[in-house]
Amino acid sequence: MLIQFAIKNFLRQGLRSILNVLITAITIVTVIFNLSLLNGFQARATLNMVKTDVAGGHYRIAGFDLLSPTEWEDHTGLVPDSLKALPEDQKAETLILQGQIFPNNRLYPVQMRGVGPGQELLDLPLQGLKRFPEKITDQIPVVIGTKMAERTHLKQGDSVVLKWRDKFGAVDARDILVVDVVKLLNPRVDEGMVWLRLDHLQDMARREGEVSWVAVELFQGPVPDMEFHSVDDLMKDLLILLKNDRRNSIILWIILMFLAGISVFNTQILNVFKRQKEIGTLLALGVESKQVVRIFTWEGAVTAGISVVVAGLIAVPLFMWFQTVGLDVSHLEESTIPVRDAIFLEFNPFEIFYSITVVVALTILVAWLPVRKISHMDPTLALRGKAIT
Amino acid sequence: MLNTISKIPAQWKKTLFILTFSFGAFFSWPVFFISAEEIDANALVRAVDENLWATTKFIAGRLIIDNGRRVRTLKMDTWMQGVTRSYSVYKSPAREKGTKMLKRDSKLWMYTPRTDRKLLIAGHLLRQSMMGSDLSYEDMMEDKKLSKAYNAMVDRRETIEGKEYLVLHLIANDKTTTYQSRLGWVDPEKKIVRKEELYAKSGKLLKKVDYLDYRKIGNRLFPKKVIFRDTLKTNTQTTYVFDEIQFDVDIPKKYFSQSILKR
Repeated sequence: MLIQFAIKNFLRQGLRSILNVLITAITIVTVIFNLSLLNGFQARATLNMVKTDVAGGHYRIAGFDLLSPTEWEDHTGLVPDSLKALPEDQKAETLILQGQIFPNNRLYPVQMRGVGPGQELLDLPLQGLKRFPEKITDQIPVVIGTKMAERTHLKQGDSVVLKWRDKFGAVDARDILVVDVVKLLNPRVDEGMVWLRLDHLQDMARREGEVSWVAVELFQGPVPDMEFHSVDDLMKDLLILLKNDRRNSIILWIILMFLAGISVFNTQILNVFKRQKEIGTLLALGVESKQVVRIFTWEGAVTAGISVVVAGLIAVPLFMWFQTVGLDVSHLEESTIPVRDAIFLEFNPFEIFYSITVVVALTILVAWLPVRKISHMDPTLALRGKAIT
Repeated sequence: MLNTISKIPAQWKKTLFILTFSFGAFFSWPVFFISAEEIDANALVRAVDENLWATTKFIAGRLIIDNGRRVRTLKMDTWMQGVTRSYSVYKSPAREKGTKMLKRDSKLWMYTPRTDRKLLIAGHLLRQSMMGSDLSYEDMMEDKKLSKAYNAMVDRRETIEGKEYLVLHLIANDKTTTYQSRLGWVDPEKKIVRKEELYAKSGKLLKKVDYLDYRKIGNRLFPKKVIFRDTLKTNTQTTYVFDEIQFDVDIPKKYFSQSILKR
């Protein structure tokens, strides 16, 4: 009976109820959208990193640190037999060395990254290197990313001098030929990077059979003289960044909840003030004050329930449309965040349930808080509309 | 004398002429008849080293760095002991004043008064450009005499500004030498280098060095300035001008101690 009474009261309030429902529904939709967008961003970034660089983890030569380029050349080694035996779709041998190119006779420091031309683990568009023989002929074939091409003003078919040091410290320089300019999903493997065949780079640096790391699909157990770096280790900076983003999104979440809460709270205060005579009549008819409080609280609960339904009605077509277009994040090309194309929503059922529960609970709470004073209301004053002034 | 000669019978004159010509030709062969290939190129490089390197030397000089857009001049004093030890103090410009560099064997430390810290320039940092110049720290660190690091061969003769030079082809003795080959234009009489070209292992020309305005200091010939050019870059050059040079000077021991690297 209380619920029926509450629903009738809810409907009688007209525009105020509609506004409350809309605000609460929009809050629910926005919170879910925000969380799902972050999930989508994280999923895309992680996928791009895994596909182009990280795979299932790296077995790195002990002491190798990508952030210490001056020490890369001190940490190379032969591939252990256990990793060498892996098929090409489960490993990608990689050698990283420092070099310098001279586009337009200006010095440009680069990372020379050599990967096995036959590897199938990483999704790198380096097919252009495959057609060249194992032995370097007159020019060294390389592939660069679009970002690198833009920075260095190099294009497909261009030649430029590459200078490097071999294993023994002798300086060497030769012309490289840009055989392809490719779009790489991950800017971390694009800018400042020159991609070569692993056998060419090993030959150039007189480091036959040596690598900096072996990317693998799955952990292969401990390997002597190598350190395993898991996907989480290798993407630590990105995960911290996303964690911070998630923390920042909580601020938006709190603001939205606050707005929705204020709306319901304000409506309830107005209800109690305007419906004093109704409250007084109910009390005079013998309805207990607790029951009157429950009626008003149920009105809040009804608002929350209808908001969830309306949120669903808004969210389903909105999210379906969004999944067809995505959010363009091409501006992130300027950063090192490994996302270049559009991102899409990635729904987490637990997060959706949790968000809805919190919004509903908050709505009921703020519906209950202002009506507590009904329990102390004098029925005679309430009947005359003077219980609250 | 002329009378005496005129009294000699004609057939004897002919014999005397042949003998005299043969004698003169024998003693003047180094000048007139030697082919480039017969000169001991390694001995010549050793002589060049002997001329340039002293037990100790002091140089007050300027490093003029022209990067194509602007020219910077660094003034510095340098004390050197053999090829393995050197100590430099930068005197100007104001932002570099007080910067010190100490090279000992294969290590190089740099002290900057701004940070009041000394930094060991080691490993691959040595390959970076020194103060934005066409020289790397490693070029500055070169601690082997040419005669020790390279095996020389005479490549050809070439004339520069009316003076004939022997072009020596120097090939590194071991694979750790930075520049695996060089060409040096050497004056065989004065035992001085006029210019050098430094090559990558592949044979690509990387740097050109000109040694200009030789002057006599004591019993040595020393250039007034050396110009370095990185051939992979355009419009850049670094000139090292030697304003004052003293050979075999006494250098206080503390100059080659790390304790000197402070204000």
